[in-house]
Amino acid sequence: MSDVVIKAENISKQFQLGEIGTGSLRQDINHWWQKNILKKDNIFYATDQSENSHEKGNQFWALKDVSFEIKEGETWGIIGRNGSGKSTLLKILSRIIKPTYGTIKGRGKISSLLEVGTGFHPELTGRENIFISGHMLGMNKQEILKKFDEIVDFSGIGAFIDTPVKRYSSGMYVRLAFSVAAHLEPDILIVDEVLAVGDTEFQKKCISKLNDASGKEGRTVIFVSHNVQAISNLCSNAILLEKGNVAAIGNIKPVMNSYLGALQKQRWLQTFNTLKEAPGNELIRLIYIELIPQTLTSVSIINITTPIKIKFKFHHAVNIAKVTADLLLFNTSGECIFDLASEPFTCNKGFIEGECIIPGNFLNDGVYYFTLYFAHDASTEKIYFEECLLFEVADFNENASGSDKWWGLVRPNFPFTLNAATNSKSYC
Amino acid sequence: MLKIITPTSKPAIVEWEIKPETTWLGSSLKELFLYKDLLLRMVRKDFLSSYQQTLLGPLWIIINPLLTVLTYVLIFSRVLSLSTEGIPAFVFYLSGITLWNLFSELLLGTSYVFSQNIDIFSKVYFPRLIAPLSTLLLNLYRFGIQFIIFLIVLIYTYSSGQAVFNIRYVFLAIPIVIITAGMGFGAGLIFSVITIKYKDVLNLLNVLVRLLMFVCPIFFTLSAIPEKIKWFAKINPLSSLFEIFRFAFFGVGQIGIFSFLYSLLCMFFLMITGILLFNKWGDKLIDII
Repeated sequence: MSDVVIKAENISKQFQLGEIGTGSLRQDINHWWQKNILKKDNIFYATDQSENSHEKGNQFWALKDVSFEIKEGETWGIIGRNGSGKSTLLKILSRIIKPTYGTIKGRGKISSLLEVGTGFHPELTGRENIFISGHMLGMNKQEILKKFDEIVDFSGIGAFIDTPVKRYSSGMYVRLAFSVAAHLEPDILIVDEVLAVGDTEFQKKCISKLNDASGKEGRTVIFVSHNVQAISNLCSNAILLEKGNVAAIGNIKPVMNSYLGALQKQRWLQTFNTLKEAPGNELIRLIYIELIPQTLTSVSIINITTPIKIKFKFHHAVNIAKVTADLLLFNTSGECIFDLASEPFTCNKGFIEGECIIPGNFLNDGVYYFTLYFAHDASTEKIYFEECLLFEVADFNENASGSDKWWGLVRPNFPFTLNAATNSKSYC
Repeated sequence: MLKIITPTSKPAIVEWEIKPETTWLGSSLKELFLYKDLLLRMVRKDFLSSYQQTLLGPLWIIINPLLTVLTYVLIFSRVLSLSTEGIPAFVFYLSGITLWNLFSELLLGTSYVFSQNIDIFSKVYFPRLIAPLSTLLLNLYRFGIQFIIFLIVLIYTYSSGQAVFNIRYVFLAIPIVIITAGMGFGAGLIFSVITIKYKDVLNLLNVLVRLLMFVCPIFFTLSAIPEKIKWFAKINPLSSLFEIFRFAFFGVGQIGIFSFLYSLLCMFFLMITGILLFNKWGDKLIDII
C-alpha cells in the first residue's frame, strides 16, 4: 500500500508577463532582429533585476523547485493563498501545461476535475453530455454505459435527461456535471475547488463520495481548496505553497497551522509611520489599526468564542469638530454583518484613539473584514478605510465535520433550554 | 513477515512521465486509440450542436452547396459565359464546389482548433490531436453527404440526356479526395499553431481562402487559362486535383501524372509538417492562448 505513485522533482514553471506572446508579430520580429542581427542581448527581458526571485523583469516564476512524493492511497491537500501557484501545480499534474523544469514520474490512471462540467455543451442533452464529459475525463464507452443509470440517479435530474443542459437550472447543471465526475474510477484523482458550487445538501453528498474514494476504495486523492475545513477533514497530508515555493509539507495539522498563521499575520495590523503615507484626507489620517484577539492562551487563534478588540489611532488636523467613527463588518460574500457607530466626539487637533470590543460567541465561523469610516461635521463626504482588517474565525469544536457548516451569519449563544413540562395530564 | 524495502523511493513501475520537453511525434498511436470513443463523441457533438434550433437541421449540408452553385451558375455561366467544355454548368460547378468545400472547411476548421477548444484544453488532458482529428472526420462525413448529392445530380443529368459522360476513370476520385482532405488538414494544423501566437493570421487566412477559391479551376478549366499565367495554375497543388476529379466523372479535361505526383508530394509535406508542428508546439503554446 505504501508504494510511491507520484514523484515530483524540482517542478518549476515560468510565465512571461506583459505583452510578450499576446499575439504581436511585429514585436517578435523586432525582438528577433535585435537579438540575432544586431546582437543586442535581451533588450526586452532583462530590464529589472530585482532581488525578488519570484518576479524578474518580464518573467514570473509561478512555481519554483517544488518536489514531493505521494504514496498510494494517500489524500493530499494543496493549500496556499491566491497566486501561490496551486492551480499551476494542479495543471502540470493534470498534464494540461508543461513544467519549465523538473519531471514528474508516476503510475496509474489520473483523472482531474479542474472545473464543473468539463466538455459540457449547452445545446446538447444531459444524456449526450454525460458521454462527452465522461470520455474527456477518461472513461470509455463501456464504463459509461455500465454506470449510466447510477450517474443519473446520483444527480437526481430524472426526467430532464433528454433536455438540453442550457435549460437546466444552475443547480441541476452542477449536479449532473459532478455526478459524472464522481463515477470516475481513476487510480489518482485530482480535484480543484469544484466543491465550492452547488447546494449544501449536494456538497455533503459529494464530500462523502470523495471520502469513499479515498477511504474505502483506496484511491489517491489530491485536493485543492480554499476551504480549510474541507481540506482538514479530507486530507491526511498537505503541501503549503507560498509564492511558488513549498513553505510546508507533510502531515496536515502542522501544515494547516502554518497556513492559518501566515494568513492571520497579513491583516491583523496596519501601521503607517509618517503622516505622509498614512491614508485619509486633509482632515483625518489613519495612523494604525489593529485587531487583538482577547484570548487567555498565548496562541492567538480566533475561534467563535474569542472576543476581539479593535484599536485604532488617527490624526485629526483641525480644531473643534465633531467626529463619529464607524465600523462595518463584512463576510467574504460581501454581506454586511453589522454597522457599529461610536458616540460623536469633539476632537481637537492631534491624535485620537478608538477602541471597540466584539464579544465572543457572536460571529459564526468564516472569514471577515472590517471597513472603518469617519463622519466629520466639517465635511459632507465620509472618509473610508476599506478592508483595513481581515481575519478568520475558526469553529470552536475541532471535531465538527467540515461539511456541516453552522447556518446563519451570526452564531449567538443565547440561553435556550428544554425542560420536562409540568401539566400535560389532559393529553394522556 | 516479509518486508520489501525499496532502496529508492521511485515508483515501482513508472508508467508515465511529465517532462518539460515536447516531442515532435507527440502521443503514441496507442494512446490515440484509447481515446477513440472521445473522438467519435466529439464528431457527434459538433454535428448535433451545429444544427440545434435550426428549422432544416442537417439539410443545410445539402442546401448550402446547391444554393452556392446556383449563384455561381448565374454569375459565371450566364453573365460571364465561361466555357465548361460542353458539360452542363450546374453539375460542372457542383463537382468543383463539393471538392472545394472539403478543402476549405477542413483548412479553416482545423485552423480554429485552439481558439474553439481553449475552454476544454485548459481544463482537461487528452491527446490534443483528437480535436483536429474530429474536425477531419466531421468534414469527411459532410463531404460524403454532399458527394451523394453530387452523384444524384450527375445521374439525373446523364439520364435526362443532357450530356454523355465517360466514367471509365471514376476510381481516380478516391485518391483525389484523400489528397484534398490531407492538404486541408495538414495546412490547417500548420495554421492552427501559427494562429496561437499571431491571431491576426486568422483574418488573413479567411481572405486567402476566399481568393484561392477563384484561383483554383472550379469555374473554369485549366485549358481556358491564358498561357502567360498558366505557370501560376501549375504551382498551385490544388489545380490538378479539380481537373482530375472532373476527369474521373466527366471524362474531359487534361491531366498529367506529374501534376498528380506534385499534389501528392505537397499533401505529404503539409500533413507531416502539420502534425509535427502541432505536437511540438501545441503543448508549449497552451500557456499563451
